[in-house]
Parts: sequence; C-alpha cells; structure tokens
Amino acid sequence: MQTQKLSVREALKVGDWRMKLSAIIMGTSQLLHGQILKGLWFLAVEISFFTWFFARGIKSLQSLITLGTHKQGFVFDKKLGINVLHQGDNSMLLLLFGVATILVVVIFFYQYWVNLKSARKLQELDLYHKSIPTLKEDLSALLDSKLHILLMSVPVAGVVAFTILPLIYMISIAFTNYDHNHLPPKNLFSWVGFENLGNVLGGDVASTFFPLLGWTIVWAIMATVTSFLFGVLLAMLINAKGIKGKKVYRTLFILTMAVPQFITLLIMNNLLNDSGMVNTMLMNWHVISHPLPFLTDGTWAKVTVIIVNMWIGIPATMLVTTGILQNLNQDQIEAAEIDGANKFQIFRDLTFPQILFVMAPSLIQQFIGNINNFNVIFLLTGGGPMNSDYYNAGDTDLLVTWLYKLTIDAADYNLASVIGILIFTLSAVFSLFAYKRVNKMNNLG
Amino acid sequence: MKNKNKRTRMIVYTILTLLAVVWVLPIIWIVLTSFRSEGGMFVDYFIPHHFTLDNYKMLFTNSTYPFGRWFMNTLIVAVVSATLSTFITVVMAYSLSRLKFRWRGRFLQGALVLNMFPGFMSMIAIYYILKAIGLTQSLVALILVYVAGAALGFYVQKGFFDTIPISLDESAMLDGATKWDIFRTITLPLSKPIIVYTTLMAFTGPWMDFIFARVIMGDNIQNYTVAIGLYTMMTRESANSLFMAFAAGSVLIAVPIIILFIALQRFFVEGMTSGAVKG
Amino acid sequence: MAEIKLEHIKKQYQNASEPSVADYNLDIHDKEFIVFVGPSGSGKSTVLRMIAGLEEITDGTFTIDGEVMNEVAPKDREIAMVFQNYALYPHMTVFDNIGYSLKLKKTPKTEIEERVHQAAKILGIEPYLERKPADLSGGQRQRVAMGRAIVRDAKILLMDEPLSNLDAKLRVQMRAEITKIHKRMGATTIYVTHDQTEAMTLADRIVIIDHGDIQQIGTPNELYNEPTNTFVAGFIGSPAMNLLEVEYYDGMLVSDEGFSVTLPQGISKQLTDKGYEDKKIVFGIRPEDLHLDPIAMETYVGGKFTTQVEISELLGADVMLYTKIGNSEIVVRGKGSDYVAPGTAIQVAANLSKAHYFDAVTTNRII
Repeated sequence: MQTQKLSVREALKVGDWRMKLSAIIMGTSQLLHGQILKGLWFLAVEISFFTWFFARGIKSLQSLITLGTHKQGFVFDKKLGINVLHQGDNSMLLLLFGVATILVVVIFFYQYWVNLKSARKLQELDLYHKSIPTLKEDLSALLDSKLHILLMSVPVAGVVAFTILPLIYMISIAFTNYDHNHLPPKNLFSWVGFENLGNVLGGDVASTFFPLLGWTIVWAIMATVTSFLFGVLLAMLINAKGIKGKKVYRTLFILTMAVPQFITLLIMNNLLNDSGMVNTMLMNWHVISHPLPFLTDGTWAKVTVIIVNMWIGIPATMLVTTGILQNLNQDQIEAAEIDGANKFQIFRDLTFPQILFVMAPSLIQQFIGNINNFNVIFLLTGGGPMNSDYYNAGDTDLLVTWLYKLTIDAADYNLASVIGILIFTLSAVFSLFAYKRVNKMNNLG
Repeated sequence: MKNKNKRTRMIVYTILTLLAVVWVLPIIWIVLTSFRSEGGMFVDYFIPHHFTLDNYKMLFTNSTYPFGRWFMNTLIVAVVSATLSTFITVVMAYSLSRLKFRWRGRFLQGALVLNMFPGFMSMIAIYYILKAIGLTQSLVALILVYVAGAALGFYVQKGFFDTIPISLDESAMLDGATKWDIFRTITLPLSKPIIVYTTLMAFTGPWMDFIFARVIMGDNIQNYTVAIGLYTMMTRESANSLFMAFAAGSVLIAVPIIILFIALQRFFVEGMTSGAVKG
Repeated sequence: MAEIKLEHIKKQYQNASEPSVADYNLDIHDKEFIVFVGPSGSGKSTVLRMIAGLEEITDGTFTIDGEVMNEVAPKDREIAMVFQNYALYPHMTVFDNIGYSLKLKKTPKTEIEERVHQAAKILGIEPYLERKPADLSGGQRQRVAMGRAIVRDAKILLMDEPLSNLDAKLRVQMRAEITKIHKRMGATTIYVTHDQTEAMTLADRIVIIDHGDIQQIGTPNELYNEPTNTFVAGFIGSPAMNLLEVEYYDGMLVSDEGFSVTLPQGISKQLTDKGYEDKKIVFGIRPEDLHLDPIAMETYVGGKFTTQVEISELLGADVMLYTKIGNSEIVVRGKGSDYVAPGTAIQVAANLSKAHYFDAVTTNRII
C-alpha cells in the first residue's frame, strides 16, 4: 500500500494535539516521540531566539529604520557640569546589525519550518504505524540520503555570512546617503530611497555614468572578441600539420599565464609609459620625436588597454581551443578536402563554427568577466588618464574600477553601491539574453 | 608542391617564433631589471650595464619592506586556504552534481546570480563584519575571505563530476554503497586531475591577489602578503629607486609559480579544457 | 527464495503527459529466468530499473517474498545487476571491481579472495584479475560485469541488455554462458533485451512489452505458436511472420491485390461463428509454413496462391524468397534447391492449419 504524503498544512489540520502544539512550542512532537536530542534542539532554538529578540532584536530593527538619531558630539551633562563627548549612534553599524537581525529572523523561521516538517513526518509515521527513526538511524542517513546536508551546511553557512549578508548590506547602502559628507561615527546617514539611483541615471553623476557604461561594453566586446579570434588563430598555427615543437610553444605561452597579472601589468605600464622603454627606444632610433601617449591620451589609452589585454588573454583561449581542435573529428576534414575545399574554406565552414559552438557558453562567461575585469584596467592605466568632466573617473575606467575609486578615494559608498547594482543588472541582462541565444543555437545544432 | 609546403611552414615558424618572443619579452625584461644596479624606473636600454644581487639582498635586509616575512605570510595563507578551499569546492561540486535534493536547481541559479555581482562590492561590508569580530588586519581574516569565496567557485569541478557516468554510481549503489562510500571510493579517485587543478588555482590565488588583501590588511605592513607588499612598493614616492627591488620581488614570486604551472601543466590544461570540450 | 510480484506498477515522469509504464502486472517465480523483450523505448528497462530501485515507482506495489520494497534503498535490496555498458570502475583492477560489494560489507580478506577467484574461474577471466578495465576487450569487460554480479550470491539478478555491445559470435557464446550461470546460481533472473532471439533462447517465460503495456506473457513456445496479437506475432520469430490484411467471406480469405485462399471447414466455421463474415481480418503465416514442393501442393490444396519473387537470398541449406503480391510482401522459406531468380512468379502452398487469424481492428487473436 502506497503511503500518502501529507503536506504541512494538511498535517496541522488533521494532526493530533502533539502536532498542533509543535506549532507553538517547537520540539514538542519530537520530545513526545522519543527523539530527545532533536526535540531539545528545537526547543532551545525557540527559547534563545525569543529571548534575544525581545532583548536586542526589536531595538535592532527599530534602529534599522531610523539609522541612528544621536549625532556624535558634545553634550552638556547636568550631573557633572561639563561638556561630555557623547558617542552617538553609528549609522553604519546600526545598518549592519539591522541587516544581520533580519537574517537571524529569517534563519529562525527556517528552523521553525524544519520543526513543522519534522513533526509532520512523525505524524505520517504514526498514521501508518511505522517506526520512529532513532538518533543512530538519523545520523547514518547523513552519510547517505542526507549526505548533502552534511557536506554543504558549513560552506553554505560561510556563503551566507560572507557573501549574502555583505551583499544585502551593500545593496541597502545604495538607498542611503552614506557618502563622504556623511561618514560615521562623526555623522549619521539615513534612508533616501531611490534618490541615488536617480542621481546616477539622470542627475549630475549621469554624465560620468553613461560614458563609462558605453566604454565598459565596448571594452568587454573588444577584449572578448580579440582574445578569442587571435587565440583561435594562434591555436591553429601551433596545431598545424608538420609544425614541430608544439609542446614547446604551448609551454612558453602557458608560462606567461603563470606570472601574476599585477606583475605583468605593472611591467607593461612601465614599458609603455611616456618615459618608458618603448618610447625612449623609438626616440633613440629617431622613429618619433615625441613620446607616444600610450597611457596618457584618452583614445590611445583605450586602444593600448585592448591590445595589452590580448597579451593576457590569448594564451588562455589558445589552450582551450587546442583542446577542442584535438578532439575535432578528422574524417570530416578529409571529406571536405576530397569535396574540393581549400584550407581557408575548411576553417570557415567546418572548424570555426564547431569551435564557436563548443565555446559559446565560455565566451559568454568571459564577456561578463570582462565587464568586471578590474585588474587589467586598474593596473595598466589606473583608469586614467583622469578626465575632469568625470566625477572621480578617468577615460579608461570601467564601471568596476570607478566603483573602487568611489569607495576608496571618494568614500561615496552609496554611489558605489548603486553602480554595483547596475553592474549586476547589466551582467544579468546579458546573461539571460546570451543564454537564450545559445539555447536556440544548441537546439538547431 | 613540397616547396610550397616548406615555404608555408617556414612562414608559420617565423610567425610563431616572433609571437613567442613578443610574449616572453616582458618576462625576460623584468628578470634582467632585477639584476640591474644602475638607474631607476625608466632606462632606455634593454640589457643592464652592471649586474648585481643587491636588489635581492635589499628585500631581505630592510625593515620597511620585509619581503621575507611577506613571503612566509603568503605561503601560510596559500597552503591553508588551498587545503580548505579544495575541500569545500570539491564537496560543494559533488553535492550539486550527484546528490538529489529539492533546492538543487534553486541553489545553482542562486549561485549564478550571486556570481554576477562584482566581488568588490561586498569587500567593504566584509571588512566591517571582520572588524566587528575583531579579526581585521590578520592573516586569519584573509584565509577566511579566500575560503568563503571557494564555496561558490565550484563550476569547473562540478562540470568534471558531471562527466562521470551515472551508471558507476548506480552499480555501486546496488553493490551496497552509501552515497558517502561512492564519494570516497569512486568519485574522488577518478577526479584526481581536476582536484589537482582546483588546488593549484587555490594555492596560486593568494600570491596574486592584491585587492582583497589590501582592503583587509590596511596598513599592517608586517602582515602583508607579497602581492600587496610589492604593490605598495610601487605606489610610494620612492617608486623610482625601488623599481629594481620590485623587479627582484616579482621574480621571486613568479619563479615558483611558473615552476608549479609547468610541472603541473597536464592538470592545468585538463582543468581549463574540461569545461569547454564535450568528449 | 525470491518471488517477485509487480502489481499495477506505474511510472510517469514529472513533465510527461503520459505514463511511460501504465499498469504493469507480473508474478515472477523463484529461480525463474524471465525476459522482458520489446522495441526500444517500450519501457522494459524502466521496469527493470524500478525493480533495482534506480527509478521511483509512481504507483503500484512491488514485493519480494511478500515484503513491500517500493521505498527500500537499492543498496538494501540485495539485488545484483549487470549494466548495458558494464559500468566497471575504471580506476580499480578487475579483482577490486568484482570484490567491491564484498569489501563494502566488510567481508574478511581471505573470503573475498576465495569468492572472487571462484567467480573469475567460472567466467574464465582469472588471468585478468590484476588488469584495469581499460586494458580489456569488450567481451572480457562484459565477463567482469557478470563476475561482479555473480560473486554476490544475490537472490535476484537483473541484466539490462548485457550482450548488445558484443559482436554476433560472442553473443552466441555468452548466451550459453548465461544459461549455465543461471542454473548454477539459482537466482531469480530478469533479463531485458530488444533481441527476440535472445529472448527465445534464454527465457523460461517471456514478457513482451510495447509502449509500456504488456502484450503477452508466456513461454517461448506459447509466444511462438499462440501469439495473442499482431504485435507479438510480428515480433517473435526471424524472419517475421507474414501478416496480410484480407477479407473473409464464403469460406475464403481474399485480398484486393490478388491473394486468395480457401479455408478448411473447421476454421471457417469458427470465423463465421465469431461473426467475421464479410469482415476484415489479419492473416498471419510464418515463412516456414509456406511450401513450394509438389507434395505440399497436393496436401494444402486450398492454400495455394501465386506470388512474384523480388529478392532471393541463398543461405546455404535454406533460401529466403522475398515475394510480393501487389504491394504486400510475403516471405517464403524454402530449401536451397528451391532457389528461383528474382522476377519469377511462383506458386506457394500455405499450411492453413498453422496459420494465425487476428481481428483487423483490435489486432487480437481470433482463433
């Protein structure tokens, strides 16, 4: 006879008093069924949560809404008769603790739900006269059907603490006026709603945002495309028939991938500087009379950045493409040769489309990665040359590097957060669009 | 016919050699610079006039830039975070690849979404969280941050697990294995190359990262890793006179990593290509 | 003891509009060798996997010796299985592959040695015990997969198309081996295949499945001689039974392409009694029941008809004549000496008492 699965709602309706009591006092059902440890755990969770909530939690939530009311400053203390430094509220910490509080509440509700589900399971087992799992059985299930809980709980906790919590915190900052004029602990900041977003999209910051957005997209496209195309070409050159020393060449290029980016980019910065090696040598050979502004002219810098990025990116693409080339079906190429195709046609009609097909998802990821490619731009040009029309940004700044500058140099955390959210939106939109396209390609291919 | 082939091959060899030179040149240059005794940041010749080991010596003997100490710091952070990271990444990848649980699809989508936020955005928040716990400017904090990042970096590993045929798992199940047994005796032994790749990536990360490290370390020079250490050397006013020392430091970092990469080349290549190539 | 009962077993995947297996009912006796046979996608592997526990049973009850096993994990079912692609653990030696299940049960080392060697001996793979699967041929790998299954001494043995990846000669060899092993092990065996020859040679009973529905359950003999519908009739036997759509009236079967035979009284009476006068039926006759020799012409007078030879395949002692009446193909099996060139018209005598008669609409057997 097949056992019917009860939903939690059904279980609450038809369940016995133990089930219903579990909804109010967590852990009741488990304790009464002999699952002592589990029952005590849920009870403990409930008690500690409510104690904490009434002692601290509510206040935390209140502060979250106000973000602090007392400014730091001197206050006349009547008792002592002098001005005393009043610490005041720290908006930033209040926001942080507020967000953490909300997360704790969410986690509590999750535990509450687990409690109900467990009680429902017990109800089911009772209904069908099955045995209640002992502690030993529960623990051994952790190694089998519940292995994912054992393996994933610690990493997921880490993700919540170090990724989700900070992200929610940063996203909330986008809706405050936490900038260089409102730095705690001296100053307070408060909620301003969508004002920052409006500022970026339509206000004074817009004249920086949109050009940078444009450049970010141009850069991402150019960087991905050039790395890919030339990487494929390089792979084909090395992989060509009759070329000896394939492994040597590949190793040389892998070598360049092993050197940390910040070293290679600072080297490039040095070489291409106005007084750098390239310029001085060209001048010594009387090819030019003035140094070429590789890094100091807006347009030149943009081109330089793309070309230097090729140095960084091509070995990687070459490597992956080589893998694909080696797995390519050789028979079809021979068939094409018999059909009369020359090398170029074979590349255009057979090899390249298949490489593209396999690499499409990876290319999308690279594109999105390039939107956020902090290192190359920051280390090579520092985002410069500085552009006085821009607010804290230079000609080659990407949205990410601008985010960095807004945070570290200008301390405009709220603007930085808004930019961060916008970058995310950009990436998400592109991802969705690209994956739909790739799926279509896959379905036709 | 033969001559034409020979000619094409000659052209290809020339191009390849030229490209190889272009690629390797900057590296040779920095190595040469590290031995240069005269001049500052900018010189107009390639090969140094005088060779010296002073730049290297300087790194280990001065107190403002304690390179030796930085090296040890980075080594500790790299080893610890590589071990923990590999473990976490492998475990996450296996769960998401092989274990059926209700929120698996949601989780994968969520991870995708989380990865679309610029990593830097959460840096400030993490800094303050660490401050609240009292861990700022310490190596422990750095390790925590690197390892936490590993939890969402499971894609390559998962991709590899996905290529192991399910029938192996099923056969083992019928033989009486629990999921943990399968993980231990079948999946892990078959994944050696990818695990090496993951460890390699996790190990080399701390040597190269300067963003996260900078935010966390602030001005605690004693606790710097080599990456921020060298970086700060270059962005001070004394950059000009420190340039050769910077070069020396760079060589000291780059060489071990290059050796690692070349020795483990096979795994590195397998890791990079496994995602893209469908067998 | 291992008696298996499948009652109203249903399997429907989450996003499917129809179930893959609708209402499967079967009792399997202890130590029986039962074969599930059917075309690809018929659901036979799905049922096997449900028995193994690798697929969830959507509805219905599955019991072994009276105990309900629907919710029991595969590892606790004590079932051994041979997979279609063998599923050998590539990083372990043949010895470790075979001994894996014993190791998991913490069997003492000496016992593992003994049992693995014994299984390897039966299958003739003892010399390969230290090799890895990658160093073995297809046939050898198949034996390792079998060794893995038999070493467990399980009560139930499942085999999912184990011979489909082997070449023809090996397949014949292995069929004999499998029968021997079954007798030796005494386990209840369920064998899945799409090859009707394997089914006919190996099975105690056959279950023919099409589109998730059981068409017929019976011994090879029953299926061959008394197929319950046209699907079974056309599936079992090689070359397949000839099936012709004809009309029955006046004691004759006539097709609109020129086929005409007169039925023996006994048969025509049954057809009329069942109300098939002037109705369409499907006439089935096996190639070997169509005769070309003069004695047959005398004996089976009513079953004579003419047909045109299109292709003649001389197989040595036999010849297969692929003939056509109008657009319908009729295959005739004769002796080698009956060979005629393509394009010839021949006269054939059908042994109508051996023929089969099916309802044209329901495809079920009439007589």
